[in-house]
Amino acid sequence: MRILVVEDEPTLAAQLAEGIKSVGYVVDVAHNGVDGHFMGETQPYDAIVLDIGLPQMDGITVLKKWRASGRTLPVLILTARDTWREKVAGIDAGADDYLTKPFHMEELLARLRALIRRAGGHASTEFVCGPLTLDTRSSRASVDGTALTLTSHEYRVLAYLMHHPGEIVSRAELTEHIYAQDFDRDSNTVEVFIARLRKKLPPGLIETVRGLGYRLNKAQ
Amino acid sequence: MKIAFLRNSLRIRLLAGTLVWIVISILVAGWGLGQLFHQHVEAQFDVELKNHLDQLTAQLILDEQNQAQVRLLPSDPRLNKPLSGLYWQIDRITAAVERPVKAVLRSRSLWDETLVVPADAPADGEIYQHRIEGPHGVALRVVERTVTIDTHSLMLMVAANESLMTAPIADFKGHLWLALGILGMGLTFAASMQVFVGLAPLRSMQDALGRVRHGDARNMEGTFPSEIMPLVNEFNTVLAQNAEVVERARTQAGNLAHALKTPLSVLSNAANAPEKRDDDLARLVTSQVDTVRKQVDYHLSRAQAAASVQVPGMRTSVEPVIQGLVRVMQRVHAERHLVFVVIPDEASLSFRGEEQDLQEMLGNLIDNASKWARSRIEIQVSDESGKLRVSIDDDGKGIAETERDHVLKRGVRADEQVPGTGLGLAITADLAQMYGGDLVLAKSSLGGLQASLILPAV
Repeated sequence: MRILVVEDEPTLAAQLAEGIKSVGYVVDVAHNGVDGHFMGETQPYDAIVLDIGLPQMDGITVLKKWRASGRTLPVLILTARDTWREKVAGIDAGADDYLTKPFHMEELLARLRALIRRAGGHASTEFVCGPLTLDTRSSRASVDGTALTLTSHEYRVLAYLMHHPGEIVSRAELTEHIYAQDFDRDSNTVEVFIARLRKKLPPGLIETVRGLGYRLNKAQ
Repeated sequence: MKIAFLRNSLRIRLLAGTLVWIVISILVAGWGLGQLFHQHVEAQFDVELKNHLDQLTAQLILDEQNQAQVRLLPSDPRLNKPLSGLYWQIDRITAAVERPVKAVLRSRSLWDETLVVPADAPADGEIYQHRIEGPHGVALRVVERTVTIDTHSLMLMVAANESLMTAPIADFKGHLWLALGILGMGLTFAASMQVFVGLAPLRSMQDALGRVRHGDARNMEGTFPSEIMPLVNEFNTVLAQNAEVVERARTQAGNLAHALKTPLSVLSNAANAPEKRDDDLARLVTSQVDTVRKQVDYHLSRAQAAASVQVPGMRTSVEPVIQGLVRVMQRVHAERHLVFVVIPDEASLSFRGEEQDLQEMLGNLIDNASKWARSRIEIQVSDESGKLRVSIDDDGKGIAETERDHVLKRGVRADEQVPGTGLGLAITADLAQMYGGDLVLAKSSLGGLQASLILPAV
């Protein structure tokens, strides 16, 4: 899961990135509206945390532009002006949820999780696929109740697959969603993570679809 | 009080001033014209009497017995008609007796009456005038002269009923006053029209102001005479400045909130970092940040509302505000599939106040209802004897009667498990009261809480 944070205050941006990373997501940060808009427009994010008061281009405008160009990903807006006028404007511009500053990180993470879940059509924080259970709240996976020990990259790969059960996910797509923008990417490493995951999971859960990518076997 | 009313009405002042002058002018003109006519008629009358006297004098002779005789009687037919009102008479004046011998000759019109004039002796050629009482007590105007032939002195007099002179004068005066009265009424009507037309712009200015106060217009509209236009322009400038001051206050309050809240977020997040969470200092920071946030929210909303309550001409449609807030709630609580029912008011009343304040009040109430509701929220707008009433019902667990007053007090949360409640209700109650309205909590027919906002309407 790859998240974009658009926040101009550097310390808060760093705290947000830190907090979101701690639950197993990958985070990119933009510090102004123009950069934020460009990144949201060009990179495949799973959700965006967008501050309303941004330099160069305000958050509402950025959001409207994304929506106008057909970006449907969930967007959580952060507002410092705790007025309903701003919240209505934000929602009408296409936001999915709002949070007023100052906020508790737990609350932000909970909202973010809910938005990603909602976007994938899930009703619960728990994702189940056969014997495999993924709890997005605690960032843990278990097989038949036995907790798995996963590295953060392994968790991200598994979480992305579990958010798209039964779908074919290409290697490139996985790479896009498990690495931050400025990370030195190598799609071969995805194969390594898949291989490691297969060892930890019951056999046959992750299928390889030749020439296309991977698929989580729902029937299992 | 009546005097004050007279003094305070421009219309009455102008009308009274004009009326006084009209009445004075008409009285003076009437009296003057009457006098002039009177003098003229009197002079004419006297000339006529003297003509008769001259005629009589010319025909006067003494016969052999030294008796006065009139050779040719004056021709005026009235002198032959008894008591016609025009008379002549000749008296003999004897030296021995002061009282002259009465009426040696007289006109036929005198019949057997005698003219009695005061005893006097005009010098030869002089003509005297008297007012005497004639036949049947009628007032007569008399001219007399003394004529001496040889040693015989005779007094010649011609008299006429004064009514022959006064009747046309009275008649004239009657017509004169009637004409002047009509003139006066015309002038009064003209003056009233002038005052009415002249003051009409004031009336339309009052209407324009009324529309501003009612919120139908943002400033005074229409064209006014050049004497009043500067006043209207000045007033519009004041209105615009007022609105600008409020807008600036809002922006600045918003900026302050923005400036404060981002650092507060940083502080709160730093204190909540996993490795610090159990630290005493971190806990203190967390709780204090929360307090600061509440204080800022509370006082900001108050300051903003305080500024806009003062501004006239505000009018906000209720339904668009509700729809906007419902859109927010439906999006934010998407997975709960809440049902929002909005029952608009048939009379379509508007809120007399700033849109943002209505948004704050309704936002807090609808947000609160959405947090607590199980599945259904009903929002009803109605007219409560001229005031706007917005009731928000939910089917949640509600607030116990004993708790209701408590939650309206600032910063008290009825239940900590749903974040943000309590303060929102207190802010809403405060805002409503600043607008002269109220927030009433009751048990809803849906089972949960019913929050009713009562606000001034337009």
